[in-house]
Amino acid sequence: MKILIVDDSRTMRLVLRRMLAQLGHDDVVEAAHGGEGLERMTDDLPELALVDWNMPVMGGLDFIKAVREQRAYDRVKLMIVTSESSPRIVYEALKAGADEYAMKPITGDIMDDKMQLLGLS
Amino acid sequence: MDDNELDEVVNEFIVESHENLDDLDRALVLLEHDNDPNVVARIFRTIHTIKGTSGFLGFSTLESVSHVGENLLSKLRDRELMISTEITSGLLAMVDAIREILQTVSTSGDEAGLAYPALVERLTELAVAPTAGVEPEAAPAPATFTPLTEIAETTPDVGEVPKPQGEDRPPASETLRVDVSLLDDLMNLVGELVLARNQILQFVQPQGDPAFNATSQRLNLITTELQAGVMKTRMQPIENVWNKFPRVVRDLTINCGKQARLEMEGKHTELDKTLLEAIKDPLTHLVRNAVDHGLESPANRLASGKSTEGLVRLSAYHEGGQVIVEISDDGAGIDADKLRRKAIQKGLLTSEEAHSRSDREMLNVIFLPGFSTAEAVSNISGRGVGMDVVRTNIEGIGGSVEVQTVLGAGTTFRVKIPLTLAIVPALVVSVGQDRYAIPQVSLIELVRLDAHQSPEGATVIGGIEWVQGLPVHRLRGQLLPLVFLRDVFENDLYDGVIDSEPRESFNIVVVQADDHQFGLVVDDISDTAEIVVKPLGRLLKSADTFAGATIMGDGRVALILDVMGIANRIGITTSERRGSRAATGVDVTDVSGTWRRLLLFSLGDRHLGLPLEAVARLEEFSPADIEMSGHRAVVQYRGEIMHLIDLGDELGMPSSRVEGQPMQVVVYTDANSSVGLVVDQIFDIVEEHLDVTETADSHGIAGTAVIHGQVTDVIAVKQILRSAVPAIFATASEVAA
Repeated sequence: MKILIVDDSRTMRLVLRRMLAQLGHDDVVEAAHGGEGLERMTDDLPELALVDWNMPVMGGLDFIKAVREQRAYDRVKLMIVTSESSPRIVYEALKAGADEYAMKPITGDIMDDKMQLLGLS
Repeated sequence: MDDNELDEVVNEFIVESHENLDDLDRALVLLEHDNDPNVVARIFRTIHTIKGTSGFLGFSTLESVSHVGENLLSKLRDRELMISTEITSGLLAMVDAIREILQTVSTSGDEAGLAYPALVERLTELAVAPTAGVEPEAAPAPATFTPLTEIAETTPDVGEVPKPQGEDRPPASETLRVDVSLLDDLMNLVGELVLARNQILQFVQPQGDPAFNATSQRLNLITTELQAGVMKTRMQPIENVWNKFPRVVRDLTINCGKQARLEMEGKHTELDKTLLEAIKDPLTHLVRNAVDHGLESPANRLASGKSTEGLVRLSAYHEGGQVIVEISDDGAGIDADKLRRKAIQKGLLTSEEAHSRSDREMLNVIFLPGFSTAEAVSNISGRGVGMDVVRTNIEGIGGSVEVQTVLGAGTTFRVKIPLTLAIVPALVVSVGQDRYAIPQVSLIELVRLDAHQSPEGATVIGGIEWVQGLPVHRLRGQLLPLVFLRDVFENDLYDGVIDSEPRESFNIVVVQADDHQFGLVVDDISDTAEIVVKPLGRLLKSADTFAGATIMGDGRVALILDVMGIANRIGITTSERRGSRAATGVDVTDVSGTWRRLLLFSLGDRHLGLPLEAVARLEEFSPADIEMSGHRAVVQYRGEIMHLIDLGDELGMPSSRVEGQPMQVVVYTDANSSVGLVVDQIFDIVEEHLDVTETADSHGIAGTAVIHGQVTDVIAVKQILRSAVPAIFATASEVAA
């Protein structure tokens, strides 16, 4: 399964990549913001995207909206991974079309659970 | 994650956080000036990311500090709070604390022992303080600081928010992070390759094997390109160092109750990374000095008819294969008499020494160890680093620093730095059988002396006079002390007669050490070469007359001369300054920046000048070298075809050149093309305060100035090149020469 990580922090991308590898997912691509994430969507056709909320150029909300506008990506699962915790943001994300919402700091176990919920593991 | 993986993540976190923090200092200072929502969002995001990641990695102190900072920032973002000096100072203190924690983590692996209860409390209070609704401008701060004015850049809007660094970088997938030590290794290997290439080229014979010759030529070209490419990977804009100066100046102005504006010009000028690291501290010190010692207090400024806000100006540009960085202020200038009193009081000079020195020479006293001019040594500029350390550091990387001042109008420090350390352009000279390389940084000019045979059959050199038993040469009305290079290494002193084989001429290499010029007399001058600097062996390390060694094209070793070391060894302590400036009494930099170096030459009876930064080399071609290509005169020059432009034709001025005589040519290089400008006679190079009168009606002339009492037309090089050889220079952007 191919997984896309969209996060402006290199450290965060590295942490998530390591976590996914522990869960047996080695096919991972990265993007530093939403705009780059959209390019990766076209080029790499991931099945799951882990998306940060607060990013330069294009943030998580706009990225999710842009992905959900295209029918071709209907089956791609979108998971927000952020340290933002306000109910307003969770609501906005889910309303825009996110499938799951995970709070940083996230552990491998939680990630595994969330992926099972999405029917991906 | 196992330990290795965790280490990798922590390292990445430290590197990334440092990058973001460097940007933050600048952004915070900008924010204080102009509460721009985009800037707040950017700062917020950086702190937010650090907080999030530190939670992940279990750095609880870091998390708590960044958490309160984030809180405060979110209130600024949502306009619940207005920015104030207190808030900016608090946030800057937070950035410092975060840096300190990261530093501790990177050395010890954890943040044990660090706690910031006072800072956390301060930031928490700031976040709840009822400043909302209170206009921050209501109570004028005692000190103000205008963050940044960019000159001659594409953004004319003063104080415009610079794009966050991360956003105009290429996407993550197109860049690669490489360890600097790997680049160092590559640079060393390229250096070796350059040497091997030079050795191979020695075997190329005009009538030799054409296949071998062609291959060598290719090797030559590829090596040159590879060298340029590798050097480029190590280049970084000086901006990387300058970025922290707005913060430095802001903190200083607040601490010493002054007002200052910081201007930067040429921030994209690139330098080798190692050199950039090396000049960071000296430049910071000079900037601190400019604010702390250079600028007057607002009251004193008003009293002397200036605006209360002082100006500190940084500029960087390339000149003759070097980078020049200038730090100037429009403050009170340095009072030479004050320096005299201080130097005597400190026991650095005797009363006679101090009074026999010119004001100009006195200025260099500030570089002596143990000298400080501030009436009260403040904890700001002090910090244990004196100007002597600044100079030692800059000279340590083959650079130099000079100071110019106008009493009441300001001071300028001019720092010259080589572009790179590993490969330097040098002049190769010989004495007897030995060859030496003199780095071009210290070269001023070359002078040839004719010699004749005495009746006894010995060689007598003309043009040498004796002052108190020391040899000097009269150069354009000034006395130049001479040093015979053979005497430096052998102890039998020159007595006016050289008893080696008869020769027709000797050569003086005029060099600059510190503030003093002197002439090195050598037997022969071979050529300029790009030499790869090799450190000297342990046994020769203490020989201060040598800066290193290099291997020449033929495989033999040449020693690299350390001009400063020779000057010290010979004991050259006094010399007349360059004639031009001493004679005209113009020996100061105008802080407004119209101070230029000009190459002076003649065309017929007209005197002309052109800016030195446009000049690559001066050459002489004999008429036999000149060939025609189409209707253009060209010469073969350094393996390429170079166009010659007759400046007389181009400017419509009659030339007094005699047919069949060698032609003097000024070589101008732009990007990759060279062009030769043919002139009648090259006179001199002067450093002048240019007071140019515009004469826009005449083609190719940028203006007219009076230099040495002579009306001199300053030519607009680019304009001439574009009209004369549009094929090469049509696209070059116009820069008023």
